[in-house]
Amino acid sequence: MDRKMLSVLGALVGVLIIFLLVAYVGPMVNESLNLGETAGLRFLFVGIGLLIAFGIYWATKSSPAWEVGTREVVYMSIGAALYAVLSYLFNGTVFAVPSLSQVALRPAVAIPMFFGYTFGPAVGFFTGAVGNMFGDAITGFGLSPQWSIGNGLIGMISGMAMLFSDKKKSMDIVMYISGAIAILGLALYLAFKDTPNMVFFDPAQNIFGDAPISLFAGISGLIGFVLVLAVRFGFAKNTEIAAAVLWGALGNFIGLGFAAISDIWINGFPPQAALVGEFLPSAGPNLIFAAILVPALVAAYASFRRQSGR
Amino acid sequence: MLVTWRYRPRKTFIQSFDPRAWLIFFICFFGSALMFWDVRFLVVFFGAALTLVLTSGVTWAESKRAWTFIGMFVLIYTTLTFLTGRGGMEVYQTEQLLARLEAPFNIFGWTPALDITLQRVFFAMAQLMRVWSIASLTILIPYTLNPALYGVTFRGLGMSDKIAYAMDLTMRFIPSFGRDFQLTLDAQRARGYEIENLKGGLVAQVRKMIPLIVPVTIHAMISSEDIIDAMDLRAFGVGPRTWLDELHYTRRDYVLIVFGVLMLVMAASLSLIGVGRFWVPAV
Repeated sequence: MDRKMLSVLGALVGVLIIFLLVAYVGPMVNESLNLGETAGLRFLFVGIGLLIAFGIYWATKSSPAWEVGTREVVYMSIGAALYAVLSYLFNGTVFAVPSLSQVALRPAVAIPMFFGYTFGPAVGFFTGAVGNMFGDAITGFGLSPQWSIGNGLIGMISGMAMLFSDKKKSMDIVMYISGAIAILGLALYLAFKDTPNMVFFDPAQNIFGDAPISLFAGISGLIGFVLVLAVRFGFAKNTEIAAAVLWGALGNFIGLGFAAISDIWINGFPPQAALVGEFLPSAGPNLIFAAILVPALVAAYASFRRQSGR
Repeated sequence: MLVTWRYRPRKTFIQSFDPRAWLIFFICFFGSALMFWDVRFLVVFFGAALTLVLTSGVTWAESKRAWTFIGMFVLIYTTLTFLTGRGGMEVYQTEQLLARLEAPFNIFGWTPALDITLQRVFFAMAQLMRVWSIASLTILIPYTLNPALYGVTFRGLGMSDKIAYAMDLTMRFIPSFGRDFQLTLDAQRARGYEIENLKGGLVAQVRKMIPLIVPVTIHAMISSEDIIDAMDLRAFGVGPRTWLDELHYTRRDYVLIVFGVLMLVMAASLSLIGVGRFWVPAV
């Protein structure tokens, strides 16, 4: 088993080294080499994302949370398929749900959070990564594998709640980290208010990710975090719901943060464009969706388990 | 319970290959096409994709929804980038004006005008060819890949038994959940639920998603119990798994794989030495 893992790790490190060589040695061979528009860099970040996921797994591999049995295999596939179908339905082409103040309704993100939190990090990672991949494939996009890995991280981090025995204490730590990220996001927004919102498209209004970010989208990270806090203290007795939302919030920040930061190199975005124009308007609204939909899913699943006795 | 994608056996070029070989080729094609912005290179990919589609034996009647959707998407997207000139800024800095179309009227002192520049024309063409080549081959996959072979195909591509089976199930679940969503939506509509007419603030709108998302998710988990039982009864995951169908590479499969890998290596080398970037003819 250990040997197998070492070989996987070796392969990942190999991919990483090759791409680093291409990125750093390549320009010496050919000065005009700019990886911005080549596909290579995307896969480098896929490699880095997988390394992060693998590192977390490696550090905690003794935990039963990583066990994958029949049940987990089936939940992985259900989660991924649901995520794919939901992202397809709400990508703006099937249901034309109008966006409010540059925030489009994309409730699908609750799926990897719920599956990750309920069934563990392995199920969460598969749900997010494979679901996003298939969702892009059936929509006809599918040019950004680093966002699939980012979505995988959302599910995986949501599932890391299982790795800690002291639920309350880990929840508090997660709350402080997410709070710090939300405040950092707000500070970035205030510093770069004129950054275009790159995830907002509205062909009818001739807007293609270039309208200045709206106040609501800019502070949505903080609004989302306040909602998350409201859930955490509103359901203080029901630690399941509070923990699911808090871990989901952290996963959302880290997963999308990873994807947005990787776009600094992949698409050559300036850092403030990636963070304010891409990260805030995607991660903030996600938090709002998560704070409302994840508790509903957790509560519904709990009552299903009570009824069926499983 | 499971609805399948519209696969049927056909005696065609694509389906004469081992599905593993075809997927490897598809990934190589995908990666190669992404390396280029030069229309002269992209036209090769475009032509290849078009030939594959036309010889795939997938009829218009069975696939028209997919084609209309992707066709509209690609057309609207490229037309809009063309009209506005946005989107291409990553690959070109200067524009050469070919013609300027001005509307013969003006609205409150504003005359609608369209700048046609060489760069915009070629960027739109490149974008159309890139997206279309990749999207059309992606659409063909569910039509040409036998659902009974999903699992063994992914296993044959090097995934572990469990992951291969999870991928298999995911692909099988997607159409059934799509149908479940439609059924749930219809059922909720019969009760007066209107997804097209969501009112209220963002929080209120998200809350109105609950009657759609929660039933579908919970229903999926309830029905999965049968699948879990069936798999457990067949001792899933206890030992190395065997598959009902076996896949064997033939010579033509090796030829296809070698061709795909060579194409990818060549495309990557060309793009590393700077060939195949955005190109416009000298005027």
